[in-house]
Amino acid sequence: MSVATSGVWQKNPALAWREIDEETVIISPGDSVMHELNDTGSFVWRNIDGRRTAEDLAALLVEQYEVTRETALADTLSLFEELSLRKLLISAEPPQGGASR
Amino acid sequence: MTKAQPICASAVDTHVDIQIGSLPLRLSLRDSALLESVRGRYRGFTGSQNNCFSITVDGEDSETNGAHSFVCDFEGACVTADSGSAHFSGVRHEYALDSLLRMLLSWALLPQEGFLIHAATVVRNGKAFVFVGRSGAGKSTVASLSPQGSVLTDEISLLKRVDGEWQAFGTPFWGEFRAEGSNTSAPLSGIFRLAQSTENRIETLRPAQLLKSLLPCVLFFSSEPRDHHRLLQILAAASEEISGYNLQFQKNRSFWEVLPT
Repeated sequence: MSVATSGVWQKNPALAWREIDEETVIISPGDSVMHELNDTGSFVWRNIDGRRTAEDLAALLVEQYEVTRETALADTLSLFEELSLRKLLISAEPPQGGASR
Repeated sequence: MTKAQPICASAVDTHVDIQIGSLPLRLSLRDSALLESVRGRYRGFTGSQNNCFSITVDGEDSETNGAHSFVCDFEGACVTADSGSAHFSGVRHEYALDSLLRMLLSWALLPQEGFLIHAATVVRNGKAFVFVGRSGAGKSTVASLSPQGSVLTDEISLLKRVDGEWQAFGTPFWGEFRAEGSNTSAPLSGIFRLAQSTENRIETLRPAQLLKSLLPCVLFFSSEPRDHHRLLQILAAASEEISGYNLQFQKNRSFWEVLPT
């Protein structure tokens, strides 16, 4: 599964999550599995709001950390892919191919 | 003139009033043999109180629907609960009832900032030492190396925030379903993640490390996101407010020498 740079994602509303010590702990209630994010992952997670794209979030990373835009975007896309695979992120865009009228 | 009766008192003796973690519970049963078993099992926790959480227990199977705040089943028995009351169905022996009671408490303690966790708790010098770990980590070993009467439980501990202070409560939930324990509590000294070793060593855990240690050991059966969210907030608060440690310990009483006083 690949994540588009312009795609918009949001946190799965079914999740419970909490920041502590600059880390984020996420619980998915369906299977009670615990997921962890480090400080940069937590920074991205905190800024996922259902409106920002991966490019927007990469730009925030560049502002916050000493990292190139290319690296920030690659890391953000990689994180998005992982989080969406675990169903922690869901698409915030309306499904395509809906009603034709 | 008649004397006023407590709300929970009844002339018909078909119930048992108990208190676990300062949560008053009334278990109402029709099966007299089961009633006697329950009285014996929870003898250290009996007592009448007002405003009991009412639990009706029967041996019949019943259909459940999604209309309840909490629903969970265990080997053919089932608990359904809403605020202040619960129903246990399909209960044919005391062990099924005990399992459902653990499940119910894991949910009913949330509003009181409490939770159940796989941990042995030992009281020493008036402070509770909570030794957390999954099966085989050494909970029973630590309990067996502690003086008789100092162990609040060797299997399932109950931790709760009371007036801003974390306390450990005695529970009737012991290893191998043994019926022990009493309704006592003590303020926490700390939480210790157990690992058996050839030496005694202790190291401090950061709050995030403690939270990640607690989560796999917490008893929780709700699938509702709001309940998980509440639990996570409670555990995060506990991790920030309680001292947490890794404890490598030898299987003898010398491990107490490295613990904080």
